[in-house]
Amino acid sequence: MTAPASPAASETLTPLIPPSQHRWAEVIHRLEAGGSMLPDTPENLMQIIGIYKAYAVPMDFYWRDLLYIAERVFLNPLPAFKYFPSQEYLDLPNSYAGDQSRLRIWRGGEKAHPELLEFMAKGETGQMSKLLHHLWHDRINMEFAEACMQAMLWHQGMGGRFYDYLESDTYRANADRAIKAYFKGNPAMLALYKLFPEMFMEQVKQMSYYANLGLFWEVMAPVFFEMSDIYDEGGFKGVPDAMNFLVNGIFAVAGRPIYHHVYVGDECIEVIPKSEGFTWLYEAALPYVEAVFYRTAPFRGTKSYNAQAYQVPNDQADFHSGILYADVFPVGSAGIPPTLLMQDMLHFLPPYLVALYKQHKRGDADVLIQLGITFQRSMYNVTSAVIQALRCALLYPLDDTDPEHLLANRRFFEAQMDRFLRPEARLGAIQSQAYR
Amino acid sequence: MANIIETAKGAGCFSTLLTAVEVAGLTAALESPGPFTVFAPVDEAFAALPPGTVQTLVDNTPQLARILKYHVLAGAYSRAQLIDQPEWASLEGAPVAIRRAEPFEVKNATVLTADIACDNGIVHVINRVILPG
Repeated sequence: MTAPASPAASETLTPLIPPSQHRWAEVIHRLEAGGSMLPDTPENLMQIIGIYKAYAVPMDFYWRDLLYIAERVFLNPLPAFKYFPSQEYLDLPNSYAGDQSRLRIWRGGEKAHPELLEFMAKGETGQMSKLLHHLWHDRINMEFAEACMQAMLWHQGMGGRFYDYLESDTYRANADRAIKAYFKGNPAMLALYKLFPEMFMEQVKQMSYYANLGLFWEVMAPVFFEMSDIYDEGGFKGVPDAMNFLVNGIFAVAGRPIYHHVYVGDECIEVIPKSEGFTWLYEAALPYVEAVFYRTAPFRGTKSYNAQAYQVPNDQADFHSGILYADVFPVGSAGIPPTLLMQDMLHFLPPYLVALYKQHKRGDADVLIQLGITFQRSMYNVTSAVIQALRCALLYPLDDTDPEHLLANRRFFEAQMDRFLRPEARLGAIQSQAYR
Repeated sequence: MANIIETAKGAGCFSTLLTAVEVAGLTAALESPGPFTVFAPVDEAFAALPPGTVQTLVDNTPQLARILKYHVLAGAYSRAQLIDQPEWASLEGAPVAIRRAEPFEVKNATVLTADIACDNGIVHVINRVILPG
């Protein structure tokens, strides 16, 4: 016979607010208990950490090349070599890794990762010149990074002040200086600039988004490497640990400046100076998550879309082609940005993920799909970290005892989950391990 | 009466805030006639932020100044005035929401002591660093 619970004990067990009636109530209650949208299972932890590692290596290339393009290639009208970042950029010390870093939270080295350099030298085919690797398309798919940048440029208006600044007179004056300095001694391009100034301005804006995304990923690469190292050392107990590591990381670098400098020879032109006060969290991370995880755009080539039949949303905010909604199978076609990323990650999978994929579905034959779904799981975890970080920054602790505060947290979580009510959302699918 | 900076120094629980204001180069502004309304987070509020948060901001003064300016309104407003309007424009540009009158809450922070009158404005002591968004 069990003893009746004492009044004190039953009081502490009574929830302060009633359960959620939302369709995703189970996930909301998990978030309220400090969990992630992704269920806490050992396999989920293994999958997401493994894929963070595989993502971090190409990301180490993406951020370096994005900054190389924004700062050096700039408005080159024939940028045939934009995917060949200079040695200077491959050696560029990461601001958040290496001993020179002022904020030494993550261990990694400051230069390009050794696995990346090895792949750049050998590729899938073997040792040959960079140009041959490039022409054979045996290389890092930088087009993926550019697709993400374009999603941010195109969607705009997703919070932060970055895009408003690009419309300002100050920015236009800075861009004008950069254009004139870059094309100094090139009367043909300067004449073209006189004729079509807006075309050039638009290109500079795009370059500013290259810088924005490069500075964003410069932080994420060492974070993901660190997570992989911690997991290898047995450091994460579950998915919530991995999520909380990301939440702390988001706060740690929230104030990192977002800027755009252009170098013409030795001259540095500050198109967006650090003194504008733009921050990693508001001007890069949050717009990135919105543009890339949620919105992006329907991928041309997989299907024809009829806008008059409302197959393309009227409102940009309703776009839902991001990884949180993607059907990974048709996406797995040539030339589609997520496929390019999957192929990049395939080269750097840790052995435990290679072994996992061999055991399931069609083994090696559909490994891109399997790792794409792993990536989807991992991005639901990153999105959970962003949601928890926002809750932490703007709302109340999970263990708050004021019911009004808990209700405010509840409304916030429910509003976030409303975005996964549309049928394309994969939130339901990732609740089960059978989704591969 | 003392100005906002002198008042904060005298209180003894704002050492992080005062250091941040100094690093961001806002001390002179807060000593000027103003007037200002300042939501001043106590030291524990900064200490509660995850490791690295404050350091990154201190290393990058324009970004630090932006967060600090979010804690300041132009004009001196008492608690009674603040609770009459749901949102107030901060010097940072983003609105600061007044969420509750009793207990007095500014965004997700609770006001520990309201209406500290200074020469050049009013200080309300809060228990959390507030962030735009």
